[in-house]
Amino acid sequence: MSDMTNTLSSGRSAPDERDEGRRISRRRLQREKLFYRLLTLPAVGIVGLVAIVPLLLLFVGSLREQRSGAFTLDNYINTLGNGFFMRTLATTIMMAGGVTILSVLLALPLAYLLARRTMLRNIVMPIITVPRMLPFVVIGYAMILLLAPMTGVANRVLMNLGILQQPAFILFDWPGQAIAFCYNGIVVATAVLTGVLMSVDPQLEDAAVSMGANRLRAFFSVTVPLATPGIIAAGALIFTSVVTAYAIPVMLNGRVPYMVSLLISANLLTLQQQNLAYAQAIVVSVLAIGVTTLGQIVLSRYGQRGGDR
Amino acid sequence: MSATTRPRITPSVFFGRAALIVYLVIMLLWLTFPVVLVLLASFQGTLEVSFPGEFNLDAYKTIPPAYWEAFWFTIRAALLATAIAIVVAIPAAWAMVRGKLAGRRAMSNLVLIPDVVPQLILGIALLTVFIPLRLSNSFIGVMLALVALSLSTGLRFTEALLEGLPEEYEQAAQSLGADKLTTFRLVVLPLIAPGVAIAALFIFMQNLITFELLFFISGPSATPIAIRLFSDIIDRGVLPYAVAMAGILVYVAIAFYTLVAVSLGPKYMAGSVMSRKG
Repeated sequence: MSDMTNTLSSGRSAPDERDEGRRISRRRLQREKLFYRLLTLPAVGIVGLVAIVPLLLLFVGSLREQRSGAFTLDNYINTLGNGFFMRTLATTIMMAGGVTILSVLLALPLAYLLARRTMLRNIVMPIITVPRMLPFVVIGYAMILLLAPMTGVANRVLMNLGILQQPAFILFDWPGQAIAFCYNGIVVATAVLTGVLMSVDPQLEDAAVSMGANRLRAFFSVTVPLATPGIIAAGALIFTSVVTAYAIPVMLNGRVPYMVSLLISANLLTLQQQNLAYAQAIVVSVLAIGVTTLGQIVLSRYGQRGGDR
Repeated sequence: MSATTRPRITPSVFFGRAALIVYLVIMLLWLTFPVVLVLLASFQGTLEVSFPGEFNLDAYKTIPPAYWEAFWFTIRAALLATAIAIVVAIPAAWAMVRGKLAGRRAMSNLVLIPDVVPQLILGIALLTVFIPLRLSNSFIGVMLALVALSLSTGLRFTEALLEGLPEEYEQAAQSLGADKLTTFRLVVLPLIAPGVAIAALFIFMQNLITFELLFFISGPSATPIAIRLFSDIIDRGVLPYAVAMAGILVYVAIAFYTLVAVSLGPKYMAGSVMSRKG
């Protein structure tokens, strides 16, 4: 800093000295840029080696025939033209969509209460945070302890009460998976939406109430629209996590419904159709990233309009 | 809370309140049941949880050495990955925030890729690279995969921390003659250290529970604990000692929460940077 001002002040006497000063300061600036570039190098390098290059190779692999290694679109044709894959994908999307909607609907009132009642939030926060710090597998264990046909708590309680005559076999079927996914979805949605709803000014609701709306109407016509970007973000998060979930579908009997992650891993590990699996993986990641970016786009549009109001 | 005139308790208000309370109780029971059931089952040593049951530590005593190995393996890999990610992320974030480099947005998006691509897919991609390099089924492979993920989170955290730090402090130090590195060491680092510590804690926890990313690249000689618990349930069904191990993971999660809550205060847990992720 100091020598730069020196050169500038002395450079006033002669034009060529001023040029000299400019050149020095420009070189100084370039050195600084280089210094900063060097600092980012390790991060960019690591990400390049353990994420970008593997993903590019995955993409290249998806474009190659397995035997000859020639470039072809066959893997994609066999993926998108395959009725079984498309049906599996549709089941997965339906499951993910249903879980997302259900989780957000169930979590929204709770998140609202948590956002507006500080005492309640302080009590409930550990209850939401601790499950998020557990591997999903542990939630799967808990599901088995709760819902297993003979030993599960829910079945035994319901049978003792005489509500059920026979144990309900819902765990190793699609309801069991849906319940497990919903658990995770509710936890995520509650945490995200609490933060979002806390940023919605409560005075806006008070204003609506003062103009004659009841609390319920104020909630639906003021708070929910303002929180929509956050709701979309939470939804995209839950949706993508269900689409690519692997542990829960396998733990809770991965036959019904057959999820797309299981299909990919079967092709990869047991059927030895790696290149087909790569193409399927690319299709699924395009879907997941597409939903996320769509959410982001809607969010930025909607967010701007919301900011104007 | 603003003082509002209390409405008269009409039947509809009464039923509304009652419905709300029932909903709240059901939701809280639903949110707590996994932790409660896993802990109860782990202390009863049986899968048939009963409420006035006998308590013993048999399940914990029978945890096989392979489980402890997997547990410490995960802790080691998670710690090392967190340390590497933090050491690499801080200077990179500082350069990105202060350097005003061309293409900064592109660069920070690039670094976020491991976070955006689904973990399962990144795991498959890593498998294709790790098999020829003989890195699959090894500590280094698992650790490297975790570094990619940690680095994304670490950069997001540290970038946010540095953006919240006024540049004037650094300019003041430099006007007094400190060079860039000295400024960084004596001014920036102490100011962001508490935030970085919390970030490291979050990243460590995230590494500890990562499953989908590591599923394909782990193997018999490199098994994270989540995958050990998963593959045992496939091969042998639910076993009491596996439930005990799950209980230990619950303790770790509770310890983590306590640590963060004590150092931040619980209100910061909502809407934290972590909330954006699953």
